[in-house]
Amino acid sequence: MKAVCWMGKNKLETLQVPDPKILNPHDAILQITRTAICGSDLHLFDGFIPTMESGDILGHEFMGIVEETGPEVKNLKRGDRVVVPFTIACGNCLFCQKQLWSACDNTNPNAHLMETMYGYSGSGLFGYSHMMGGYAGGQAQYVRVPFANVGPLKIESDLPDEKVLFLSDIFPTGYMAAENADIKEGDTVAVWGCGPVGLFAIASAFLLGAGRVIAIDRFPERLAFARGIGAVTIDYTQPDVSVLTAIKDLTGGIGPDGAIDCVGLESHFNDLQGVYDKIKTALFMETDRPGVLRQAIQAVRKGGTLSIPGVYGGMLDKVPFGAAFGKGINMKMGQTHMHRYMKPLLERIEKGQIDPSTLISHRITLDQAPEMYKVWRDKKERVTKIVIDPWATKVA
Amino acid sequence: MANTLKEAPRLEPLPRIASAAIIEDGRYLPPPADGDGQTWVRTSTLIQSTPEECYRLWRDLPNVPRWQELMKEVRVTGPNTSHWVMEVNGKTMEWDSEILKDEPGKRIAWRSTGGSPQNAGEVIFDTAAGGRGTIVTILQEFGFGRVSSATATVLSRNPKQAVIENLRHFKALVETGEIPTIQGQSHGPRGVSGKLKASLYGEHVPTPRGDLQRAS
Repeated sequence: MKAVCWMGKNKLETLQVPDPKILNPHDAILQITRTAICGSDLHLFDGFIPTMESGDILGHEFMGIVEETGPEVKNLKRGDRVVVPFTIACGNCLFCQKQLWSACDNTNPNAHLMETMYGYSGSGLFGYSHMMGGYAGGQAQYVRVPFANVGPLKIESDLPDEKVLFLSDIFPTGYMAAENADIKEGDTVAVWGCGPVGLFAIASAFLLGAGRVIAIDRFPERLAFARGIGAVTIDYTQPDVSVLTAIKDLTGGIGPDGAIDCVGLESHFNDLQGVYDKIKTALFMETDRPGVLRQAIQAVRKGGTLSIPGVYGGMLDKVPFGAAFGKGINMKMGQTHMHRYMKPLLERIEKGQIDPSTLISHRITLDQAPEMYKVWRDKKERVTKIVIDPWATKVA
Repeated sequence: MANTLKEAPRLEPLPRIASAAIIEDGRYLPPPADGDGQTWVRTSTLIQSTPEECYRLWRDLPNVPRWQELMKEVRVTGPNTSHWVMEVNGKTMEWDSEILKDEPGKRIAWRSTGGSPQNAGEVIFDTAAGGRGTIVTILQEFGFGRVSSATATVLSRNPKQAVIENLRHFKALVETGEIPTIQGQSHGPRGVSGKLKASLYGEHVPTPRGDLQRAS
């Protein structure tokens, strides 16, 4: 089959690789019908996430048709159409029982790597480094899905793939981000980063009752999108714009009740702190560039809640923890507990409350994927979301 | 002290002794440090099952190769004795083992009585507080020092890590009926750096087959 392989930092190739096989009793093999590139895949492309091996198949947002099931998979049969959550969960450990699915104890074959870095290991993820399990991802024509008895969501309606594909990650991730911001009716919420997760967080904040959403980004097409779903936007690159002042202007000086960091470890700042983080990460003295995190801690109101769906990986410098303590803020973060959200969010799509497919700006083939990573990373061609048809030979 | 702060008495009596004698009269005390230069490991895990069920699978010696790495065969040779065969990089290692203490649903202690590697250990099954399943604790010692341990680390798996990984496999098998693996999955060319990393991450040690052994 064809698959997008990570061959080193800034080096991706679409290659012929062997088809996946059933390896464990709860495995299933899917023929992938649609898959997507996630903003967090760009962290892998840029070499920010350690423990990648050359030859790794990327991709954790995918859906498809069940091709084959292992002997212990009773809930699926050949021909079923399913969306697969990017976090893999066993369903039986203490954490799965507590619905903390992305903290599953049993799905990371390389748990010891994550234990060394984080104290304990989270669940395995598709296509997201060996520390996170090393599972082959879904930017391919077929994929092996472990614990298929627990994760995949069957799509029984005739909704097109593109409307349900984002249940695999970004829609639940944006939704949990909004839920983690503890939004009450009428709250003001500020969202940093208007990529797909940011846009879903904005839409979800409104679904959860936010009165005003403030969206922060620098790309006109993303800001236009955010305004389209009802947000007030701040372009932080415009002359005379200070994000902190703008947020005070928009909240009567008290700051937002909720702040959501949808940017994560590769934030871009052109000021002194941006230079500081660039130098320190280049010298391996810091692993992440936490500019947005610093700003969000500063911006959120006293007693407010900071929600962090943006990915952080390692050691962060100069995080104003005194401000966080001084204002008594709450912080919630982490990989999405996917299995909690997929079904309720599918219902919202079925009822027509939201159409995730409107985010898609590019439809491409597997062969075009390596080039499109670059295009998206460099924010060219007004990309909002790239979807891959792994069986297409030319652009539809 | 705890009671003086509360009107209601504790729901559960304060444990006097826990797995490796780590709670005594409410105080955490680490087990005695290992000072004899031998390779020694203590590790524990929480399993969503009963102590009886965990004991039953652990005590099922012929099935140990289902969840212990590199274990080829365990043959029962008497009521309390068994013969163990391990294969590391094509080299066979064999030893005899004797169970010193066997308390069903609670504890198994053993020592080797000949062959290599020389080892002794104990596994303890404790009901976890608050209905959280079973805490399984292993204390194990190997009859070799740092040099042999380092050699084993380079050639296959660090012996301490092997004990930790085996307990992890055991937990996965009890809780899910399988042991997670990525061995045999699809990938592109690994190249020199990919192979080196895979080896550094311990991915070259074959994952025990879990329940598949029974199926095939």
